[in-house]
Amino acid sequence: MRLLPDEPTIEEIDVFFNAKSVAIYGASATPNSVGQAILQNFIKPQYTGKVYAVNPKYTQVLGVPCFPSLQDIPDDIDLVVVAVPARIAPRVFEDIAQKGTKAAIVISGGFSETGSRGAELEDQIVRIGREHDIRIIGPNCVGVIDTHSHIDTFFLPEYRCGRPRASNVANISLVSQSGAFAAAISDWTSELGLGISKIISLGNKCDVDDDDLLRYLAQDDSTQVICFYTEGYDPGKGRSFFDTAKRVTPHKPVLVVKSGRGQRAKEAASSHTGSLAGSDRVVDAAYRQAGVIRADNFEQMFDMAKALAMQPPAKGNRVLMVTNGGGLGVMTTDALEALGLGIPHPSQDLQENLRKRLPAYCAVGNPIDVVGDTDASRYDIVFDEALKSDEYDIVVVGMLLQTPTLGMDVTNVIANHQRQSAIPFVVVAMGGAFTTKAGEIMELMGVPTYATGEKAALAAKALARYGEIKYGAEFRKSMRSDKP
Amino acid sequence: MTVARKVFETARKEGRTFVLEHEAKDIMKSYGIPIPPYETATTADEAVEKARRIGFPVVLKILSKDILHKSDAGGVKINLKSEEAVRAAFEEIMENARRYGAETGIEVDLSRGVFISSFAEMGTEVIIGVTRDPQFGHALMFGLGGIFVEVLKDVTFRLIPLSESDAREMVGEIKAAKILEGIRGQPPRDVDALVRVIMSVSKMVEENPEIRELDCNPTFVYERGKGALVVDARILIDL
Repeated sequence: MRLLPDEPTIEEIDVFFNAKSVAIYGASATPNSVGQAILQNFIKPQYTGKVYAVNPKYTQVLGVPCFPSLQDIPDDIDLVVVAVPARIAPRVFEDIAQKGTKAAIVISGGFSETGSRGAELEDQIVRIGREHDIRIIGPNCVGVIDTHSHIDTFFLPEYRCGRPRASNVANISLVSQSGAFAAAISDWTSELGLGISKIISLGNKCDVDDDDLLRYLAQDDSTQVICFYTEGYDPGKGRSFFDTAKRVTPHKPVLVVKSGRGQRAKEAASSHTGSLAGSDRVVDAAYRQAGVIRADNFEQMFDMAKALAMQPPAKGNRVLMVTNGGGLGVMTTDALEALGLGIPHPSQDLQENLRKRLPAYCAVGNPIDVVGDTDASRYDIVFDEALKSDEYDIVVVGMLLQTPTLGMDVTNVIANHQRQSAIPFVVVAMGGAFTTKAGEIMELMGVPTYATGEKAALAAKALARYGEIKYGAEFRKSMRSDKP
Repeated sequence: MTVARKVFETARKEGRTFVLEHEAKDIMKSYGIPIPPYETATTADEAVEKARRIGFPVVLKILSKDILHKSDAGGVKINLKSEEAVRAAFEEIMENARRYGAETGIEVDLSRGVFISSFAEMGTEVIIGVTRDPQFGHALMFGLGGIFVEVLKDVTFRLIPLSESDAREMVGEIKAAKILEGIRGQPPRDVDALVRVIMSVSKMVEENPEIRELDCNPTFVYERGKGALVVDARILIDL
């Protein structure tokens, strides 16, 4: 998919994820050092490219040939990972320039984040980079993880910081200004069973920034949803991100967690409007206008991203809740309502059709309660009638598996109806070990599953909001047709 | 050269980062933004004549590069219904400005005289403003005036340039949006006219990025079909 006009950015950035030969500058024989941890990632069998170490102190590190400089390596180098003290970074960049390598990830700290001396060093590497067309990620970052190519510059040992995996269903990529968050999310998502394509930590953003990654990930076929964690943009960079996002969001969902609800703009302002603005209100408006979905925190972002990665966007905001537990139905519809989604009652016709086929003690409303003694067949009846009626745009399914009558075949029923109708489904299954396992099976079949009604409601909201972004006026039409 | 360029050049020459009220309104008029009829006058006689031409009641305001906050300097007189009232107001404004100069130690330039404007009939009060965000650039703000903006901060933002659907969304998404639809038996307000003002302000700022901040406060919106008027306008620019 090529959303944006041909531009050099795409190929320049691609090297960071698909480098066939990598040099670790500052590779070290010291156990638990950054320079050793990074090298270790590249000698795992999953990475199929070539790896070299650079450090004048050694001739080999962990069995990898080690050279005093890049010039001494008898091979082209696609990507250099820099893990040396900041003060020698400019010399390293001279070496990179001479070698002709066009991509560098600077892991080391000690640059602009520490003060003017560090800022000067950062300026120097940026200058060398510009002169020789070297794209730079960092400094002061943990770099990138790509779950397909297995490029992995995170210097955090895998037994402490788990690595995410790619999913066959759908994948999310995350761009994080913070390295610590990038690492925590790598670790966390490795447990969540959420498909991840790439994690990129941007650090000081001396060159490669949010906008570059947005352009790249927009056309990356292995990324279905793009997530950002951002603390702030450099002057004017918020605008370029906005301009790109506006073009990307109709084709691919973009989510963001933005911290630093700062008051800088407020202090600087002298007019009425300026003092009311604060910078966060403008940021919020910009995201909204560009079709970027803003989440309050990571948990919300990944709950929404999971739904958006697995399900098609909704064409309208009419939600049907089907449940085998009354309490779960009420709690979930409360949450749906609070998020501004429509929960219309089934029409007279639909009610009659359902009553004909369901036991008399089932509650036919919204929620539809198929009651605790149900098996999968009542869900089948409800989906069949409700989807035929064309009265709903999203289905939220409460699936309480503590009851012995409900078999695992319910997951097939849900997945089949979802696939055939192309209407987005979200499942909520509360419970313990058995339920968790069932949720994993449900997700392998492509339907996102959540542990609480509130989370499922938020997922439904994300599917509706993205439908609104994607379909614009068409989405609204289905909302209008909802009104009597 | 456009009206805006000329005004900004004059302001810069005088070392001002704000434009005078008649200048702001000249610019707005050049973008088709509806403004109550206005004139300027440097003498009491001229003020009376211009007021007669505009039609009573009128408002008089001091016009001086040295006075940004006109009310604080006693430089605003409203609802003037007769020639006598205009003459008296002119003298009083000049006197107040001289006193303001003496008190603050500023040598106040009085050569531009006063701004005279038709005293607009009260409508539903809204505010349209522009601020420049360091990360995102120009953003336009919309909200209802008075307590809605002062106390409840019931305002909404969009980056400039806006599309018409952005402008319509803004008008519809403030918490007090129902007031514009007409409540308690009042007819609905002229939202189309309001959207046109918002779009014109967006275009004006897009074409003149040296505008740093802007307030159209108040802007009156009348019932449907009767339009909207920007009653007071403030523009701050880069030096």
